Amino acid sequence: MNEQLESFRYDDAIVRKFLVATFVWGLVGMTVGLIIALQLANPSFNFGLQWTSFGRLRPLHTNAVIFAFAGNAFFCGAYYSTQRLLKARMFSDLLSSLHFWGWQLIIVGAAITLPLGLTQAKEYAELEWPIDIAIAVVWVIFAVNFFGTIARRRERHLYVAIWFYIASIVAVAMLHIFNNLSIPAGPFKSYSIYAGVQDAFMQWWYGHNAVAFVLTTPFLGLMYYFMPKAAERPVYSYRLSILHFWTLVFMYIWAGPHHLHYTALPEWASTLGMIFSVMLWMPSWGGMVNGLLTLRGAWNKVVEDPVLKFFVVAVTAYGMSTFEGPMLSVKSVNALAHYTDWIIAHVHTGALGWNGFLTFGMIYWLMPRVFQAKLYSKKLAEAHFWFATFGMLLYVAAIYSAGLTQGLMWRAFDQTGRLQYPDFIETTMKLIPMYWVRALGGSIYIVGVLLCGYNILRTWMARPKTYEEPVFQAPALARRTPAAAPGTIAAGDPTDLWARFTSVQWHRKWEGLPVTFTVMTVLAVVVASLFEIIPTFLIRSNVPTIASVKPYTPLELAGRDIYVREGCFNCHSQMVRPLRHETERFGEYSKPGEFVYDHPFLWGSRRIGPDLAREGGKYSDIWHLRHMEDPRSITPRSIMPAYPHLLTQRLDMKEIQDHVDAMAMIGVPYGDAVNSAPALAKEQAAGIAATLAEMGAPKNLEDREIVALIAYLQRLGTDIKKPGLTLGEATSGDGR
Amino acid sequence: MRLSDVMGHAGLSIYAEIALVIFLGVFAAIVIRLVTSKRSEMERRARMPFDEAEPKHDPTVKESDHA
Repeated sequence: MNEQLESFRYDDAIVRKFLVATFVWGLVGMTVGLIIALQLANPSFNFGLQWTSFGRLRPLHTNAVIFAFAGNAFFCGAYYSTQRLLKARMFSDLLSSLHFWGWQLIIVGAAITLPLGLTQAKEYAELEWPIDIAIAVVWVIFAVNFFGTIARRRERHLYVAIWFYIASIVAVAMLHIFNNLSIPAGPFKSYSIYAGVQDAFMQWWYGHNAVAFVLTTPFLGLMYYFMPKAAERPVYSYRLSILHFWTLVFMYIWAGPHHLHYTALPEWASTLGMIFSVMLWMPSWGGMVNGLLTLRGAWNKVVEDPVLKFFVVAVTAYGMSTFEGPMLSVKSVNALAHYTDWIIAHVHTGALGWNGFLTFGMIYWLMPRVFQAKLYSKKLAEAHFWFATFGMLLYVAAIYSAGLTQGLMWRAFDQTGRLQYPDFIETTMKLIPMYWVRALGGSIYIVGVLLCGYNILRTWMARPKTYEEPVFQAPALARRTPAAAPGTIAAGDPTDLWARFTSVQWHRKWEGLPVTFTVMTVLAVVVASLFEIIPTFLIRSNVPTIASVKPYTPLELAGRDIYVREGCFNCHSQMVRPLRHETERFGEYSKPGEFVYDHPFLWGSRRIGPDLAREGGKYSDIWHLRHMEDPRSITPRSIMPAYPHLLTQRLDMKEIQDHVDAMAMIGVPYGDAVNSAPALAKEQAAGIAATLAEMGAPKNLEDREIVALIAYLQRLGTDIKKPGLTLGEATSGDGR
Repeated sequence: MRLSDVMGHAGLSIYAEIALVIFLGVFAAIVIRLVTSKRSEMERRARMPFDEAEPKHDPTVKESDHA
C-alpha cells in the first residue's frame, strides 16, 4: 500500500468560540422570550416603551433563538465533527473567523434593528435587506469553508452527519435568497417583490423549511455524530439513516402550505402540503427510532450520564413534535389549532426539547474536550437537566391547555346558534392564568441555562495555560474511489446494473463525490419547490383580480408601514377563514384577489387579538385613536400594548414618496400618486384629523402617525364592500 | 399572449400527482437498495465517528495543513 501519511491539527478554537456564543445568545433569546411571555400575562411588562413592546420584541425572540442560539449551536457542532469525520482541519482559519464574527455581527444587527421596528414583516425573515445581504455573504463564507474542507478531506466516504450539513447549507441559501427578494425603499426599508397569496406561499415555503433546514437537518447531523459518540455505540441502523436523509430532504419542502390551510391559498396546494406533511411523519420517526436505538445496551449509562439524559429527551421531543406536526397539518385539526397557542406549544416542544436539549447535551460533551479540563460539576449538569425538563413540561402543558381552550371558545355556539363568546376579550381572559404558568415554566428552564453558564465558566477557568494542539495523522486521500472488491460485480454480467444498484456501490460513489451528492440534494429540494411554486405563480386563475380592489393611498401605505413597524401582525391576523364561526365573528371570508397589492402579505399566524381583515368601518376614527393611545380605556382587560407615541411622532412625507415609488417599481399601479404622494397624503390626513377634532380629539393631528394608521385600519377589507361588485366577481376561480 | 396565460392553460395542477409518483418511485428505489445492501458495509459506515485519526507525532512525516 503506497499511502503518504499527512499530519494536521484540528481547529478547536473556533469550536470554543461558537460554544460560548451559543450559550450567550441562548440566554439572551430565552430571556427576551420570558419578557414577551410576561407581556401577555400582564401588559405592564411592555414597560410603556415603543422599543420593548410585544410586536417588536417577539421577532427578536424568534430570531435570537433560531439563528443565534440554534445557529451557533449548529456551527459549534459542525466545526467539531466535520474536522474529525473528514480527518482534516477546516479549509481556512480566516474564513472560520470571518464566519464567526460575521454571524455575531449579524445577530447584533438584528438585536438593534428589530426593537427599532425595522422589519420585513415575514416570520423568521424579519431582518431588513442590508442584513439579509450580510447573511448571504457570511453563509457563502461558511459554505466555501465547509466545501473546501470536504475537498481537502482524508476520508473518502462522507458520514451521514455530513450529508445533513450539506443539505442544510444549500437549502438555507436557496430559501434565504428567494424569500427575501425585495425592492429597497430606504436604507432599512423594503417591500417584498411578491404580493398577497404568492408572498404568503413563498413565506411559508421559507418559514416551514427554515424549521426544516435550520432546526431539523443540522441537528439531525449533530445527533448522528454526537449521540453515537456519547453512547460509545455506532448508530443503530445506517440504512435507516440513508432513508431518513433522502425522504426528509425531499419531503420537507412540500409541506409548507400546511401553514395556510383555509386561507386564500388554492385548495390543491393546501391539500398537497397536508399529504406530504403526513408522509413526513414516517421518516421523522425513522430518525427518532434510529436515535433512541443507538442507546441499545447503553441504557444503564443514561442513569449516570447527563449528556445521554439530554439526548434521550431531545430525541423523544423530536418524535413528539414530528408526530404532532403532521397531525396539525390535517385540515380538520388545523381548523381548530391554527392561530391559537397550540402552535406555540408545538413549536416549543421542538425548540426547548429537541434543539435545546440536543444543544446542551452536546455542550456538556464538548466542554471537557475543547476546554481540555474536567467538567466542573456533573451534579450541576444533572440539575440543569431536571430544571430544563420540568420547565419545559410546565411551559408546554400550560400552552397546550391555552391553545385548546382558545380554539374551542372561538368556535363555540350557543343553543340559539349564535357565538357563545362573541367578545374576543373573553377568550383572551381565560388564558391569563395559563400565561403565568408558561412564564413560570420558561423561568425554570432559564435557571437551568444559567447553571449551564456557570458550569461553562468554571470549566473554562480550569483550562490549561496554553491549549494543547495535538498533531493527527492520516493517509492522503487516493485520487479515485477504490474499485469494487473482485467478484462482487462480474464484468459484462447482464445483471450488472441490478447488481450495482443493489450493492452499496452507487451510494458510496455519490458519497465519494461531494459535488454530485450536493447536486442530487439540491435537485431534490429544487424539484419539490418548483412543482409547488411554478403553478402558484403562473396560473392566473389561482389569484383572480377583483375590479374594486385598488392600491392603498399614499397615507394608507404609510399607515401600513407603521402597522408593520409596530409588529401588529404578530398578534392580529388579516385572514378570515371560510369557517362559520369566523365569518360570524369577523365578517365575509377573505378572497385571494383582495391581497394583490399587499407587499408583503400580512395574514399573520397567530390571534392574540382579533382578526383585522374586515376592520375597516367597524369603529369610528376616534375609537381607534383612543384605543391606540390606551387600549385599556376602551377594553378594560385588554393585553394590547399602548401606542401613545403615534400621537406625537410626525409622519415623514419624504419617506411616503420613496415608499410609493418603490411600490410602483414592483408593479403597483399608483398612477399620479407616483409624483404627488405627499400632497395626496396631506389631503387625506387633513380630512381624518378634522373628523377626529370634531369628535373631541386634540387638534392638529394631520401630520402625526396615528392619522396614517387610522387611514389604513379604516381601509382594511372594505374594497369588496364597494357598491357594484358582484359576489361571483369576488370569488370566481379561487379554487374553492 | 402572456406566459401566465400559457401556463394557465397547461393544466399544471396535475403537477401534484406527478410529483407524488416521482417521490414514491424514488422512495421505493431507495428502500429496495437499502434492504438489499451489504450489512458489513453498512456497519463499517456506521462506525465512522469512531474511526478518527490517531494523535501521533512523528517528525519524519511530511507536515501540511497548518501543522
